[in-house]
Amino acid sequence: MNAIDKPSNLFVPGSMPVPLKVDEQVAKLKKTLLKDIQRSAYVYRVDCGGCNGCEIEIFAAITPIFDAERFGIKVVASPRHADILLFTGAVTRSMRIPALRAFNAAPDPKIVVSYGACGCSGGIFHDLYCVWGGTDKIVPVDVYIPGCPPTPAATIYGFAVALGLLDQKLKGTHHVEGEDERVAPIFPGIPLDVRVQIEREARRMAGYLHGRQIAEKYLALLDLKTPQELNARIQQYLAQESDPRLTEIFSRLHAISSAALG
Amino acid sequence: MLKLFKTIFKAGEATTKYPFAPFPVSPGFRGKPELDAERCIACAACMVACPANALSIKTDEAAGTRTWSLFLGRCIFCGRCEEVCPTHAIGLTPEFELAVGNKQDLYQEATFSLQNCAVCARPFAPTKEVNYAMALLVQAGTPEAEVEAQRSNFETCPECKRKKNVLSPVKLPLGQHMNKGMPK
Ligand code: SF4
Ligand code: SF4
Ligand code: SF4
Repeated sequence: MNAIDKPSNLFVPGSMPVPLKVDEQVAKLKKTLLKDIQRSAYVYRVDCGGCNGCEIEIFAAITPIFDAERFGIKVVASPRHADILLFTGAVTRSMRIPALRAFNAAPDPKIVVSYGACGCSGGIFHDLYCVWGGTDKIVPVDVYIPGCPPTPAATIYGFAVALGLLDQKLKGTHHVEGEDERVAPIFPGIPLDVRVQIEREARRMAGYLHGRQIAEKYLALLDLKTPQELNARIQQYLAQESDPRLTEIFSRLHAISSAALG
Repeated sequence: MLKLFKTIFKAGEATTKYPFAPFPVSPGFRGKPELDAERCIACAACMVACPANALSIKTDEAAGTRTWSLFLGRCIFCGRCEEVCPTHAIGLTPEFELAVGNKQDLYQEATFSLQNCAVCARPFAPTKEVNYAMALLVQAGTPEAEVEAQRSNFETCPECKRKKNVLSPVKLPLGQHMNKGMPK
């Protein structure tokens, strides 16, 4: 019987859907398949309401540069041909039933991969009223590939993990604060107000992350030695980067620091 | 035919060797955010900035701890956390091999202790954050001995500080910008 007809999986207002369960026998079959996979793996892509960024990266992964097909990974047009189901998107309300239908249409044993931040947890859409927030809310997931979107290389790595060819690298961590841990402020040699001015100006000119990185680079150079040496270092760094925008920003930062530090 | 082979030979091979060889990422690549927990002061600036709510902080008042948590499954690798972190504790790395089979492995956590208020004994801020604020005052030019002498003030929660100030006003060091232009 089609699993979506079972009452346990019907939407009950005010409650979350119960994910489908895998039969024991299917789980065993899957283990045998993975233990000794000697053939191509066909992938069917189920878009559950993402922004399409993930789709673009999946297609980038099958271009000649990354060429997933050299491992026999092929994107197919029907879930009935699929070994791997790739769920992208945060699972919107209206895509839940089509996604379940695709899941049920794929022959067992199948591997379910949750792709992208949306697939793993709902991503930036996780608290929207119209999403279920992740593939694992509706079907059992074998592998999660985080990223928004995951790069083609990360996609290939994810497939390799799904097929049991590579081992998972990431481990959950939990640090507990040690005895008497203290944190010293950054750039202790530079007066605080000068640092703040430089960081503000760099952010104003280059945007948030790059502004910070440029300010940091400048402050790291400023931290050193005498003014002549500083000038030489800055010139050398700018010549090496040879970026007129960076030169402009650095000259502004330099004006600020020379005005403040004399 | 020969011409075709020549063209192919000239074009070379564009396909990367990955996963059999490491994949060189481009400069500025935004990969997994990595926390250096020893430099983190649990100030929660990154949590406020995180647009995807991948970062969360839970305060357990009874145990006197605050737990910082990064859920990589929700991170969009935007770098906002790196930008706002005052101590350079968190930064994006070139690490991109993040696929996991077990969802729990996507959680990176760190637990910090909270400072109890010197007056009412209730936890009010991370210990490391209080110490960091004092270190900042020293960096901003206040003599270290003076800052250290005020320690009990810094280790008082805002509420008790307010009460204390109403009863017996003390001149608290307000920072150089606020003190500027005030009568000595
Ligand atoms: S994970 Fe990011 S790129 Fe992929 S569908 Fe969601 S928002 Fe788009
Ligand atoms: S990179 Fe962006 S989404 Fe990821 S933890 Fe940092 S702020 Fe949040
Ligand atoms: S902003 Fe930096 S110091 Fe503050 S909680 Fe985040 S990682 Fe820790």
